[in-house]
Amino acid sequence: MGAVSPLGADLPTSFAQALAGHCAVGAATPDIAKWLPNVLLAQAAADPASLLGGKHAGLDRASQFALVAANEALASANFAPAPADSRRVGVYVGIGFGGAHTVDGLYERFQSAVQSEGKRNPVVVHPLSVPRMMANAPAAAISMSYGLHGASHTYSVACASSAVAIGEAFRAIRDGYLDAAVVVGCEAMLTPGSLMAWNALRVMAKPHADDPSRSCRPFSQDRSGFVLGEGGAAIVLESETRAAARGQSALAELCGYGSSSDAAHLTSPSSAEQINAMQQALDDAGLRAEDIQYLNAHGTATDAGDVTETESIRGVFGAAASQLAISSTKAMHGHLIGASGILEFALSVMAMNSGSLPPTATLDQADPRCDLDFIPQTARHGCDVRAIMSNSFAFGGSNVSLVARRYPA
Amino acid sequence: MLEQIIKNYLVNTKGTDPTLLEDPALQVSALNLDSLDMVEMLFEIEDRCGFQLEDPTRYPKMSFREMLADIEAAIRQHNNGELPEFSLEESK
Repeated sequence: MGAVSPLGADLPTSFAQALAGHCAVGAATPDIAKWLPNVLLAQAAADPASLLGGKHAGLDRASQFALVAANEALASANFAPAPADSRRVGVYVGIGFGGAHTVDGLYERFQSAVQSEGKRNPVVVHPLSVPRMMANAPAAAISMSYGLHGASHTYSVACASSAVAIGEAFRAIRDGYLDAAVVVGCEAMLTPGSLMAWNALRVMAKPHADDPSRSCRPFSQDRSGFVLGEGGAAIVLESETRAAARGQSALAELCGYGSSSDAAHLTSPSSAEQINAMQQALDDAGLRAEDIQYLNAHGTATDAGDVTETESIRGVFGAAASQLAISSTKAMHGHLIGASGILEFALSVMAMNSGSLPPTATLDQADPRCDLDFIPQTARHGCDVRAIMSNSFAFGGSNVSLVARRYPA
Repeated sequence: MLEQIIKNYLVNTKGTDPTLLEDPALQVSALNLDSLDMVEMLFEIEDRCGFQLEDPTRYPKMSFREMLADIEAAIRQHNNGELPEFSLEESK
C-alpha cells in the first residue's frame, strides 16, 4: 500500500500522524484566499512533482499523486515493472474530477491572454492539455510506467470513486479476469475554480475559533462541514495463488464489497441504501456484523451525513454497534474526494494489523444524535481487530462499503 | 533564437543528444518524434508567436534546417515580414 496525503508523503507517516491526531488542515493558498478568505484546505504534505523524475513534470497534479502512491505500493509489494504475466495485471483508478489543475490553468491563461491587449493569442494553448486533463490520465501514467497490459479502468463516482475501484478490481480478480491489479485513488482540485464551486454548495467547514486546524469536526455538535483535501493512495490487490507463487505475504484479505444507489437526491443521503451497501459487503465477506471490530466512517462532518450514517450503522450492526469502534479520519486528513475511499481503507488495514485505531481527533462535543463509539480525540491502542469495514458515500447517491479481514484469518 | 528554443525543447524535454543537433544534414525524422512530440515541440514556438503553425505532419519529411526555415517564414508572414525577438523563457 502507499499514500501521499495531507498527513504525510508516504503511508506509514500518514498513519502515524492519524494516530497522533494531527490535523493537516490550514489556510487556503493566496490565489484562493484572496477570493474565499475563510476557506480551509488540507494540502498534501509533499509536492508530488518533487517525488517524481523530470519526465513526469508535465502530468496533471492528480496523475502525479497517483504515480507517487503507486510507486510506494508497488515497491512495498515487491512488484517489479513489466511482469511476465502483464496481461493479467490491471490498473483500477478512482478520481472525482480529472485534470482540475490543467483546466484551471487553461482558463487562467485564456483570461490573461484576453487581457493582454493583443500581445498573446487566447486560443493558443498547450497541445497536451487534453491528455493531461482526461480522467483516465492517472491510469495511463501507471500502466505505461509499469508495463501493465491488463484492463485499465477509471471510475468517477465522486467521494466513492476509489472505493468502487477497489471493489471492481476485487471482483475482476475473484471472477478470473485478472490475477492482480494496482488500485489507486487520486484527487487534486485545490484550485480557485473548483473551490469557488465547492464554496457555493455550502458544505465547507468554517474556521474553528480556537484552532483552525481542528475545523473538520465529524459527529460533533459544533460541526460545520468538511475540508477539501488532495493526494493519492494505492494498494496492490493480488490473488492468493499469484501472491503465493512469488512468495509475497499479504497485508490483509479484501473479502467484501457492497454498492447501492439512493436514487433519491443529488446530495442528501439515504439510510436505507447505505444499509444495503454495508449489508452486501458483510454478506459478500461471509461475516456477521459482530465480526467487525473497526469501521472507518464516511464521516464528512455535515449534519445530514453524520446523522444518517449513524442511523445506518445502527441499522446494520444492531446490538453489535455498541461494541464497534468507529472513527472518521477525515477530521485529520480532510476529504480527498476521489482518493478518500482508498486512503481510508489503507488506514483501516493498518489499524487492523497494528491494533491501533486512529481517532476522530476533533470530536470533543459529541452530537447526541451520533451516539456510537466514534473514538473521540485520541487513538486507541492494543485493540484486537480481526476485520474492518470502510464506508464511502458519494454525492449522486452512490454508496460503497468494503470489508477486509486479517490474512491469515 | 528560434533555433535555440527548439533545441532547448529537444534536449531538455525529449533527451535528444545535443551533438546530433549540430549535424547540418540532420533530418527531422531522425529525431524520432511521434505526433504528440511534434505538436508539443511546435507549441514552444506557437506559445511565443501567438498562432498555430499549419499541418505539423509535413515536418518529418524535411531536414531540420528546412523545418526551421519553414517556421521562420510562417512567423514572418504573420508579422509583415518581420521576425520578432522571442524570449527563451516560457510564458505561462
